[in-house]
Amino acid sequence: MLGGPPIARRFGSINLRGLATFYRREFVRGMKIWSLTLAAPALRAILFASVFGLAIDRPGMTMSGMPFLEFLVPGLIVVAALERAFESSAFSMVYEKTEGIFSDMAALPLTPGEIVIAYAAATVTGSVLVSAIVWAALFPIGGTLPVSPLALLFFIAAGSLMVGLFSQISGLWARKWDYIISVQTFVFMPFVFLSGVFFSLDELSEGARFYAQFNPVFYIVDGVRYALTGQAEADPWLGAAVCLAVVAVLWAIAYRLFAIGYRYKS
Amino acid sequence: MDTHANESSGPRDSRAGFGPAPSVRTFGLVNWRGVWTLYQREVKRFLKVGFQTVAAPIVTTLLFYTIFSVALEGRVGVVGSTPFVTFLAPGLIMMAILQNSFQNTSSSLMTAKVQGNIVDVLMPPIVPVEMVCGYIGGGVTRGVLVGTTTTVVMTFFVDFPFHSIAAIIFFAVAASAMLSLLGLMGGIWAEKFDHMAAVTNFVIMPLSFLSGTFYSIQRLPEFWQHVAALNPFFYAIDGFRYGFIGQGDAPVWLGASVLLAIDILLFLAVHRMLVTGYKLKS
Repeated sequence: MLGGPPIARRFGSINLRGLATFYRREFVRGMKIWSLTLAAPALRAILFASVFGLAIDRPGMTMSGMPFLEFLVPGLIVVAALERAFESSAFSMVYEKTEGIFSDMAALPLTPGEIVIAYAAATVTGSVLVSAIVWAALFPIGGTLPVSPLALLFFIAAGSLMVGLFSQISGLWARKWDYIISVQTFVFMPFVFLSGVFFSLDELSEGARFYAQFNPVFYIVDGVRYALTGQAEADPWLGAAVCLAVVAVLWAIAYRLFAIGYRYKS
Repeated sequence: MDTHANESSGPRDSRAGFGPAPSVRTFGLVNWRGVWTLYQREVKRFLKVGFQTVAAPIVTTLLFYTIFSVALEGRVGVVGSTPFVTFLAPGLIMMAILQNSFQNTSSSLMTAKVQGNIVDVLMPPIVPVEMVCGYIGGGVTRGVLVGTTTTVVMTFFVDFPFHSIAAIIFFAVAASAMLSLLGLMGGIWAEKFDHMAAVTNFVIMPLSFLSGTFYSIQRLPEFWQHVAALNPFFYAIDGFRYGFIGQGDAPVWLGASVLLAIDILLFLAVHRMLVTGYKLKS
């Protein structure tokens, strides 16, 4: 009547169905609150552009050889993309932790690599989407058509992947909301705000400039600025290499933490 | 069980071992103990994560300060006759005050609603006026505390003339009362954290960013100057800044009256919500 006994589901070397399901859950979880994940960042970018425009911009003022707002817009796009990337995986994990369902992770038929990929893919799709919306919102203010669409996609994707992996690590570490908000305030925000979103490194003193070039976010902002305006402070190839190297390191850490079930398998 | 009985030294009734029988607690016109208890809870809620409450606004304020001073000051120079950073710093401090007092009351109500323990606030024998006062007390305490710590930190970087301490204190208290009341309203209205986040993103953020923290509203086109003058946050920041540097865009008495009037209106509105049980009692 009921058919045979249940049979084990088989899959090849990659559990594609599991990966796709997990990806979909993560992506939908972010998009369900689209007013906060897509509309709010666009509004925030417009606010920042107006405030900085009014406070700083003067007729004829240039930054790094371009009008100030044109300089600022790529940075604001990156801020929106990275903020979404940081909030995606970590917030989802901490939400599950406070609900007491995060340990279900231990029972997933997914390898650590598949989990990292699924989380990361959802993050990158979300961030690319946000970037597109913020770009469109800022276009009337000081936007430009990308000089190099390929570089634009690369730097947005690599940047959000970098922050997304950092978000996975932070989410695993965080036990409660306080933890993740602290990481956001004390680590993420300083890295992003001091990265050259709002000013060119030429504005800094010799000493400050030395430290600023160790900030990986600088290379993301600079790369996106290069892709949108054709001008950059650092060599875009160097920027791409830095991004990939940081991604590789963070990937290895995230992979390792999922492999040992850090703070969820006891 | 026994230790409890031994510790109580009051009169015993026949139910040996259970201490005195409960009696009705009486209080006068105002349930002071009730208000004080609610106030204490509101303060302890943020002191429990004290490091975060105090350090986060300092970091955020310093970040904005760094961006504007280290990197951009040469380009802006002075606003009126005031160096740009001296103009900016009071605004940044006020932004921290506004954000924190809003967060204190809104998150308190929101958490209670989501976790379902809001009844513990609705059941006790306190009337709506006392309840509002307890919550505002917590929000204002946090706002003033954050304002004080960020001011202390900023004095290391900026040379404030401290024109009028009275104005500084008045505007800090009036503004954090305003935001505590707004937080209460938001907390009563919102059913989920998403709703609250929407209020923060679409109401509080724009009002505080466009309040004249970063620029003098005289830089705006005339039409937008009139619009900016309708933003109550503008008066909070303008008056607070007047206390620090002795100049403002609007007359200080006007700002003070606007804030007082808004505080009273919001108080009445929140009080009305509690009396009718809007979204709290079914």
